[in-house]
Amino acid sequence: MERTKGYPAALDKKLQDTRLYLEDSNPEFTKSVKAISRTNAHMCYQCGTCTGSCPSAPRSTYRIRKFMRRAVLGLENETLIDPDLWLCTTCYSCSDRCPRDIIPTDVIMAMRNLAFKRDIVPVNFLKTVTAIYASGHGVPNNDVNRAAREKIGLSRDPPTTHTYAEYMPGIRKILDHYKLKANADRIIKEREG
Amino acid sequence: MAEKKKTTTKKTETKKPITKKAAPVKQEIKKQAPAAKPAAKPVATGSTTQQKPRVGVFICHCGTNIAGSMDIPTVEAYAKTIPGVAFVDNYQYMCSTPGQGKIEKAIAEHKLTGIVVAACSPRLHEPTFRTATKEGGLNPFRFEMANIREQNSWVHMHDQEGATDKAKDAIRIAVAKAALLLDLFPKKVPVEKAAMVVGAGVAGMQAALDLSAAGIKTYLIEADTSIGGRMSQLDKTFPTLDCSQCILTPKMVDVGREPLIELYTYSEVHEVEGYIGNFDVTIRKKARGVLTPTEATARGLIGGGCNGCGDCDAVCPVIKPNAFEMGMKPRKAIYINHPQVVPLIYTIDFDSCVKCGLCVTACGPEKLAIDLESKDEFIKVKVGTAILATGYELFPIEKKEEWGYKRFENVITGLEFERLICASGPTGGHLVRPSDGQTPKKVAFVLCAGSRDNTGNGKPYCSRFCCMYSLKHAHQIIEKIPGCTPYLFYMDIRSFGKAYEEFYYRIQDEGAKFIRGRVANIIEDPKTKSLHVMTDDTLLDRPVDMEVDMVVLASAVQPSDDTNRTRRLFGVSCSSDGWLLEAHPKLNPCGTTTAGVFLAGVCQGPKDIPDTVASAEGAASAASIPIHKGEVELEPYFASCIDEKCAGCGMCVNLCPYSALALVEKDGRTVMEVTEAKCKGCGTCGGFCPGGAIWMNHFTTPQIVAQIDAFLLGGEQ
Repeated sequence: MERTKGYPAALDKKLQDTRLYLEDSNPEFTKSVKAISRTNAHMCYQCGTCTGSCPSAPRSTYRIRKFMRRAVLGLENETLIDPDLWLCTTCYSCSDRCPRDIIPTDVIMAMRNLAFKRDIVPVNFLKTVTAIYASGHGVPNNDVNRAAREKIGLSRDPPTTHTYAEYMPGIRKILDHYKLKANADRIIKEREG
Repeated sequence: MAEKKKTTTKKTETKKPITKKAAPVKQEIKKQAPAAKPAAKPVATGSTTQQKPRVGVFICHCGTNIAGSMDIPTVEAYAKTIPGVAFVDNYQYMCSTPGQGKIEKAIAEHKLTGIVVAACSPRLHEPTFRTATKEGGLNPFRFEMANIREQNSWVHMHDQEGATDKAKDAIRIAVAKAALLLDLFPKKVPVEKAAMVVGAGVAGMQAALDLSAAGIKTYLIEADTSIGGRMSQLDKTFPTLDCSQCILTPKMVDVGREPLIELYTYSEVHEVEGYIGNFDVTIRKKARGVLTPTEATARGLIGGGCNGCGDCDAVCPVIKPNAFEMGMKPRKAIYINHPQVVPLIYTIDFDSCVKCGLCVTACGPEKLAIDLESKDEFIKVKVGTAILATGYELFPIEKKEEWGYKRFENVITGLEFERLICASGPTGGHLVRPSDGQTPKKVAFVLCAGSRDNTGNGKPYCSRFCCMYSLKHAHQIIEKIPGCTPYLFYMDIRSFGKAYEEFYYRIQDEGAKFIRGRVANIIEDPKTKSLHVMTDDTLLDRPVDMEVDMVVLASAVQPSDDTNRTRRLFGVSCSSDGWLLEAHPKLNPCGTTTAGVFLAGVCQGPKDIPDTVASAEGAASAASIPIHKGEVELEPYFASCIDEKCAGCGMCVNLCPYSALALVEKDGRTVMEVTEAKCKGCGTCGGFCPGGAIWMNHFTTPQIVAQIDAFLLGGEQ
């Protein structure tokens, strides 16, 4: 809705009530993050060592410390709908240095699991699932790689499912057991038609 | 059988009034109690040792601490049914004056032979109730405590029924013992009118000065070659900015001059034997290679001995890093720590001395102070009490590799900063970068370096004085280096002491920049040797990469190297982090669980200088009490030998951890004998003796068997 010339609907967004209310907190969220991540997600004291160590933070809006804070307070909704959740590179630098001995990377992984339960997941992550289902690799081998491998005296394909295709049914069985492929297909279809 | 009948009648008697009128239970018992009296009439009065047991049980509510978690009337009703119980009462606070009065009154009115108070831990109030038992006319050792608070109501807060049942068990067991308790008489031993203080930092010096001022001969033992400890390494103190040496030197001089203080530097405690009042301590006086004037006189060299002239220092060819200057200044193999040392006596570091003899020649034939063949000496002294003031050292912060200490030249610790900014330090007070000697323009301070760290590689506690000394460091560089900006990387600024928060205000006003973020890592620019401090400005929510000239790590502190060995000699415990364990963290912070041994200063936990001095004065006061009293009572829990049963095998003698037992000849037989003053009543011998010949006073076999029976058989005979 146009309010002022030059300040469109964005102004309304700017003037929204952003205060934290007790209702925003879900203690169960803290508990499930802790249970899935198997680390003391509720013990963060916000020192900033994680963000200071993070290779993603200087060039993105991803703030691991903020997700740790949300884990402590149980801010389920804003955590799961925040696209930044998917910007962690899982390098584990934060986990190496956290003085509270928390594993923030695993907290992020737990949150991603909980988001996936609500079908909140970027399509590129789902396409990785499709790739694994097809080839056993998230990033399958390609001709450029094959040429490079040959050049340094390696076999054209690595000794993985690329060479031993007979193990693919087993991998598919695991993915099917958790309905990962079916869910990925369904969500991709919903998003992309 | 007769006993059983008696209890059943008692039971019915008690039950009646309760069912009739359940309300004021307390009054019911008072009315009820005299009625029970005739039942016990045949019992002989007078000597309490032979009498049939008449135990009084007192149940404490401790406000709601106990009463909130269990059903007191049910417990009380049950207590009345226990065999041997002659009287039961309850009260909100048994430890209060009216509560203790109840015990005293009941002893007289009901001719009680034993007292059970079901309340808190005996650690807290056993002495209180023993006194009440004594005031009531019984031997104080006829008291037994049932712990229904720490071991019951507090841990079973949400299980009312379970807690009530457990309290019944605890009381039944305590009654079983109380019924068999005997009169015991504590042994009084004289207290040697001398004390020992281990460690001559500011805590040890203060304690020694206080003890000597109270007229007590004090042996002050210091491992280093001079006294003053960590405080003598500091440049200024917060928040007053006093020069540390200036306020410490008068105390050091006083220690050196005080005739009642016998100072042993370059010495350590080698062996401790004995108990409160009579500790026999062996001091190892390490080979120093240099005679004091007193020692020289004792050897017949009148007018000889070291006068601190330094002629030896000038000729010594061996150069080593000076530990007092954190290794940033050279010293010779014959050295003093710094120009103001007390005592002003040189020391030879025999690990690096090449015995060339140049110093001997330089010292000359008048002084003859140097003895290159000197050996460790062992000196035995007797003291009544001892104070441990063994201090701290820095946590080896190079273990936190992300901050690059010892990898990057311009990363230093707070103590190194103190020496660099100190006018008497290696640079004459000019703060310079170790890499190139340049004056830094931007200095980062990393707070909580290794403190508040739960990774196992670091210390979980707050080291308590780093925030404040980092603020002081910031002030010092602003004051000394125009245009130099300090950046303090912090998690929380803990400025809790008197005038500390005001100091924080002042330093921020002077221009120090505070960035709230723990430093994630430090990267060195290989060319310039400048440092990139990487963190998160958590208040701005932005990652930070700040290039600075120098980084100061406010490293965590830990107990000094030799603390563990020394504490074991004195039988003092430590907590999991290594700090020495006080008797009670709030009510007895200077005492330990070993009678006669006290703690002063940082060895008990991190403290700044005001807290250290206060703790030292507290320890000195506590340590002087037994000495001024002149005698102490030892708990009469010692073992004794039943000569008729003893086969003289002597196996107990070797088992005794306190060397209290010996084999002696008695009436032509070899039997064991206990030196009661040495025995701590640990029970090792009593538990072991194959012939059951050792009688552990207050923990006798019949008493313990009765307790086990009471528990297992539920009070049934």
